[in-house]
Amino acid sequence: MTLTLTLRSQPPRRVDAAPLIPERLSGFEADEVAAITLRCGGDRIPIGDLFEVSGDDAQELILAGDLRRFDGIGARMSGGEIVVRGDVGTWAGAEMAGGVLRIFGDAGHRVGAAYPGARAGMTGGEIVVSGDAGEEAGAGMRRGLVAIGGRAGNGAGLRMLAGTVIALGGIGAEAGLGNRRGSLVSGRAFEPLSSYAYATRFRPPALGLQLRRARELGLTVGDALLRGMWARWSGDITELSRGEILIFEGEEDGE
Amino acid sequence: MTAAFRLGETEVVDTFAEAFPMRFSRLVITAATDAWALEAARSMTGFATSVIGCKCEAAIERTLLPAETPDGRPGVAALLFAMDREGVGKRVLERVGQSVMTCPTTACFDGFEGDENTVPLGASLRYFGDGFQVSKVIAGKRFWRIPVMEGEFLVSESVMVGRGVGGGNLVIGAGEESAALAAAQAAAEAMRGDGIALPFPGGIVRSGSKVGALTSKSMPASTNHQLAPTLRALLDDTLVPDGVTALFEIVIDGVSEDAVREAMRRGLHAAAGAGARHITAANFGGKLGEFHFPLTELRDPP
Repeated sequence: MTLTLTLRSQPPRRVDAAPLIPERLSGFEADEVAAITLRCGGDRIPIGDLFEVSGDDAQELILAGDLRRFDGIGARMSGGEIVVRGDVGTWAGAEMAGGVLRIFGDAGHRVGAAYPGARAGMTGGEIVVSGDAGEEAGAGMRRGLVAIGGRAGNGAGLRMLAGTVIALGGIGAEAGLGNRRGSLVSGRAFEPLSSYAYATRFRPPALGLQLRRARELGLTVGDALLRGMWARWSGDITELSRGEILIFEGEEDGE
Repeated sequence: MTAAFRLGETEVVDTFAEAFPMRFSRLVITAATDAWALEAARSMTGFATSVIGCKCEAAIERTLLPAETPDGRPGVAALLFAMDREGVGKRVLERVGQSVMTCPTTACFDGFEGDENTVPLGASLRYFGDGFQVSKVIAGKRFWRIPVMEGEFLVSESVMVGRGVGGGNLVIGAGEESAALAAAQAAAEAMRGDGIALPFPGGIVRSGSKVGALTSKSMPASTNHQLAPTLRALLDDTLVPDGVTALFEIVIDGVSEDAVREAMRRGLHAAAGAGARHITAANFGGKLGEFHFPLTELRDPP
């Protein structure tokens, strides 16, 4: 079944939306969900005051509206699916462990990232963002996929342990700083940090599977990306140097 | 040896094929071109005609269009059968390691959707990567990226093992060798399909065997002398009827009892339509195999 939350009115201040995850709402009726309160500035506001709630038993949770003031959507979720129709605030999918978070809109800073002080961010699951994402997407990620249809801001994949961050519209400066074993993928030309070294150009078979998966989850992925050649840079040399940045080079073989 | 029924000129013997429970895996091999996918699949399913001598039985199930494969490249589905799970695991690992990983441009995937009853594949092959291997979990499944001279070999962490049926068979004879072979080829062609592996060369075996031997206690199998036309005059119990000079056997391994039965039905009718004079089946008296396929049940066309 699906539980749908449609935004009625903008909250007065930023809202911690982290409780809105399938495993915490599962088993509740719509009116019970409406009675749950969310932290908003120093106050708590019932979900029912902010959203129109319909449906029940949220293995699939749909959030609709301009949710730029809602932080931590899907944070620490471990299963089920959240679909957001609209832009979201910061920390969406932070420290996510499993399940699928699909954002049809833009995401704020630190999507899928680790909270301050935490060693590891995301440990599993999949996040797709159809629009752009803010800074430090996938920071501290250990496992899983963050796929961004648009551009990722500065510092994507910061101190990444493993996992994959894809930004089809390109990644911002200082991507992959302190990356150990993670994969960063840029669909546009990009100049990596000096702590990355150019290795080769090839067709990465695993990336093909990941791009197909992202397409399955609703991202627009052009065939050129699936067929094309990618440059591989290894880094971060200040860590293990087992991480990589893959940069799209176009469809030509270069022969 | 009485005829159960006739299909046109073809006499079908009142007997049954006797088959055994086996375990199997399905592998999907993809490559840059369909020709390379086929090279890898042929190599991987080579020397896998009979568990007695090859420790497994394997064959190409069918070719796959790019739209049907996990990575959108041309591919081949192959089935590999062995007597138990451990056997499937060992043979899959050896064969993917030696025949698929080595073949230019390939990737290798589990051909099943589920994740139960698996045997390790990439989980073991990854050590070829000598510490440089990388794993990725994609849509809940783990894959290994093994660096190789051409780029990367991508392989599923594990493959599922299913319960299948091995040893279904048809024996097809005619008055001339060429006619018997043409009928057997038509049958093999008709039998191939989803869930079916015909492990012998071209799907056809000319040296059908019996269990054990008349002259030795240590031989696991020897020639099916009762179906050897050159021995007709020597034997009181020959099974070669008058006017038949050559017989060919098609051995069928399938993913289920039903898959084997329906393949036999397709084969029987195709052989009858292609000039077979005599159709029978091999069994061991019915005591060894769990599955019996009486030819009388195949009378209705597919």
